[in-house]
Amino acid sequence: MRKCSFALLFVALLVVLSMGTAFAAEDVIKIGTLFPLTGPCALAGQRCQAAVETAVEVINNAHPEINVPGAAAEGVLGGKKFVLVHADHQGKPDVAKSEAERLIDQEGVYAIIGSYNSSCTKPASFVAERKQKLFMCGCSSSAALTKRDLNRFFRLAPTDETESLEFVEFIKYLNETKSAGIETVGLIYENTEFGKHAAEEGKAAAEAAGLKVVADVAFNPGATNLNSEVQTLKAADPDAVFGACLGGDYTLWVRTMKQMDWLPDVALNYCTGYQDPIIAKQLEADGDFFMGGTGYSPEFAELMPAVAAVEKIYMTKTDPSVPFDSDCIQEAIATLILAQAMEMAGTTDYDAVLKVLHETQFDSPMSLGGKVVFAPGGQNLKAMSILTQLQGGSYKRIYPLDLADTEPVVPMVAWGSR
Amino acid sequence: MVTFLQVALDGILSGLLYALIAAGLSLIWGVMDVINFAHGEFLMVAMYLSYWLGFLWKVDPLISWIASGVFAFLVGALTYKLIIRHTIGKSAMAALLATFGLSMFLKNVCLYVFSPNFRILNDTFLGGKTFSVGGVIFSLPQLATSLFSLCVVALVYLLIKKTRLGWAIQATAMDKEAAELMGINTEWIYVLVFGLGGACVGIAGGLLPSYLATFPDVGGLFSLLAFVCVAMGGFGSIPGALFAAILIGLVEAFSGFYVAPVFKYVAVFGLYLVVVFWRPRGLFGW
Repeated sequence: MRKCSFALLFVALLVVLSMGTAFAAEDVIKIGTLFPLTGPCALAGQRCQAAVETAVEVINNAHPEINVPGAAAEGVLGGKKFVLVHADHQGKPDVAKSEAERLIDQEGVYAIIGSYNSSCTKPASFVAERKQKLFMCGCSSSAALTKRDLNRFFRLAPTDETESLEFVEFIKYLNETKSAGIETVGLIYENTEFGKHAAEEGKAAAEAAGLKVVADVAFNPGATNLNSEVQTLKAADPDAVFGACLGGDYTLWVRTMKQMDWLPDVALNYCTGYQDPIIAKQLEADGDFFMGGTGYSPEFAELMPAVAAVEKIYMTKTDPSVPFDSDCIQEAIATLILAQAMEMAGTTDYDAVLKVLHETQFDSPMSLGGKVVFAPGGQNLKAMSILTQLQGGSYKRIYPLDLADTEPVVPMVAWGSR
Repeated sequence: MVTFLQVALDGILSGLLYALIAAGLSLIWGVMDVINFAHGEFLMVAMYLSYWLGFLWKVDPLISWIASGVFAFLVGALTYKLIIRHTIGKSAMAALLATFGLSMFLKNVCLYVFSPNFRILNDTFLGGKTFSVGGVIFSLPQLATSLFSLCVVALVYLLIKKTRLGWAIQATAMDKEAAELMGINTEWIYVLVFGLGGACVGIAGGLLPSYLATFPDVGGLFSLLAFVCVAMGGFGSIPGALFAAILIGLVEAFSGFYVAPVFKYVAVFGLYLVVVFWRPRGLFGW
C-alpha cells in the first residue's frame, strides 16, 4: 500500500512537472545565437552576443524610457519572453553548420541570430533555410549572402558592395573638390570569405570609376607579421588603400606601415578593426586619419538619440564596458526587428511572421537609416553607413556631406609629423 | 636593391624570432621526445605577463622579458611535474594529447580571465622607433628581439655543449637508463629541460608586446612555425633550429613579396615537406 502511494505520488509529481514545462514552453520563445565566442574573432563575437542579450532585455522587460518599438511592453504577444540559447562557431564554417543544426534540432530554437563571419553565416543560414527556420543576420557584410534567393534569411547591415560604392564616391568627391589626385587603389584583405568578397567589390567599384587597382594583397588572418604585405603595398604606392583587416591584424597592419614609414593618401576600411573603439583607443595617435564606413559610433548620438538608453544596458554586459560599435548594434537591431515582426503578425506562426518580414517597413530608431525594409533575398534596403575618419581618437563624420560634422584630413598626416 | 635588402632584413629578423621560440621546443623534443603542443600558449601566457607588467606598472618589455622568462620556466617545470611525468614510458600519443589538453586549458583560461580583447602596449622604450641605413629601415623593437634571440640561442647552445649540465642533458637524451647508472638525476634533468624550453619561449613572449598585440590566440601560428623549424632543423639540434628558422623567415619574406603575400606560408610549408621528404631527420638531425 505504501509502495503504491509512493508510486502514485511520483507519477503525480511527474505530471505536474511536465505540465509546468508545457506551460513554461508556451510562454517562452527560444532564440539561438551563433557567434565566434572563441578563436581570433572572439572579441567581436562576444560583443555581438552581448548586443543580442541587451535587445532581449529590452524586449522581455517593460522599458517605457526606451524609444524603440515594443520596449514599453513586457515580452511579445502579450507576455511571451525570449530565451536565448548561445552557440560558439569559433570562426569555423563547419562548426557553424553543425551548431546551427544542433540549435534547431536539439534545442528547438525558433530562429537563429548571427553569425558575424560571413563564411560562417553562409552555411548556418543554409541549414536554417533547409529546416525552414528564420535566420536574422546583423552584420555579416558579404554581398553574396543576400544574392542566394533565400526566403528566410534577413540581413540588417550594409554590404561590402554598398561600402565600396561609398568609398569610390568619396574619392570622386575628394578629386573634384579638393584636387586630391587619387588615381590608384591598393587592396589589402584577409584571405577569407569576408575579405575576398570585400576586395572583389572594392576592385569592381574602383575600376568602374576609372581608378587603377595597382596592388591586390591577400593575407592569412592571424599572421605573425605583415611585412611582405605592407612592403608590396609600399612598392606599388597606391594613392588610396581599401582595407579589410579584422582585430589584431588591423593593429599589425597599422604598426607595420608605421615601421615601414609609408602611408597612402587615403586608407578606407570595411567593417574591420577600424570600427573597434578599444583598438582605436589603444592605437592612440597611430590610429588617426584612417577612415571607414561606420554604421554607429557614440559620436552619432545626435543622429540616433534612441540608442543611448539601450547602450546603457549594453555597457553593463561588456567587460571592459564599451559602447555599441557598427557591427554589434546590428545584431541588437536584428533581434528587435524579429520581435516587432512577431508582434505585427500577432502570432509565432512562421508563415505569418515571414510575410510580415518580407512586406513591412519597420521603424528602427536604432538604425542609421531609421527604417528597415527587406528586399527579396533578405537585404535591408535602408541600410546605410557614414564615412568617418579617426581624428584625435574620435570618429568624425566626413561623408556624405549632409551628415558630415568635420572636414576630412587628406592626405593622411605622415608618421613623422604626428 | 634597397627593396631586396629590406625584404631580406625583414626575413632574417622574423627568422631570429622564430629561432628563439623553436629553440625551447627543440630542446624538449630532442631530450625527452615529447611534442609540447602547448608551446604557443606558453608564448601567449608570457606575452600577457609582459603586457600587464607594462600596462599596470609601466615596466618596459626590455626589462619584463626577465619576469616572463622566469615565469615561463616555472610554467614549464610545473607542466613536467604535474602532467608530462605521468606520461613518460607510455605511448607517445599520451604526452602529445596531454599537452594538447594543456594548450586548450591555457587558451581558454586566458580567454575567460582576460577576454578576447587585443591588448596593445604603447609608450614602450623602443616602440615604433626605426633607423635607416642606406634606405633600409631597421625596426628597433624587432631588431632588439632578434639580438636577444641570437644571444639566448647561443647561450642555450653553449650550455648544452660546453657545461657538465649540458653533457648530462645530452646523456639523458641519448640513453636515460645509462645516464642514471652514471649518477645523473634524470628526473631533475627533465624538469630543467622543460623549464628551459619554457624560458626560451617566455623570453620571446616577454619582448613581443613591444610590437605585437596580445590576445588568447596569438601563439597558434608561432608554435606551428616553431614545429616546422625544429623538424626542418633536426630534432634536438639548436643550430639546426636556428638555421631552419632563418631560412623560413627568408622564404616567407621573399615569397611573400616576390610571388604573393598569400603564398608565403605555402612556400614555407612546401619547403618543409621537401626537406622532410629528402632528409626525414632534418638538416642537422642526429
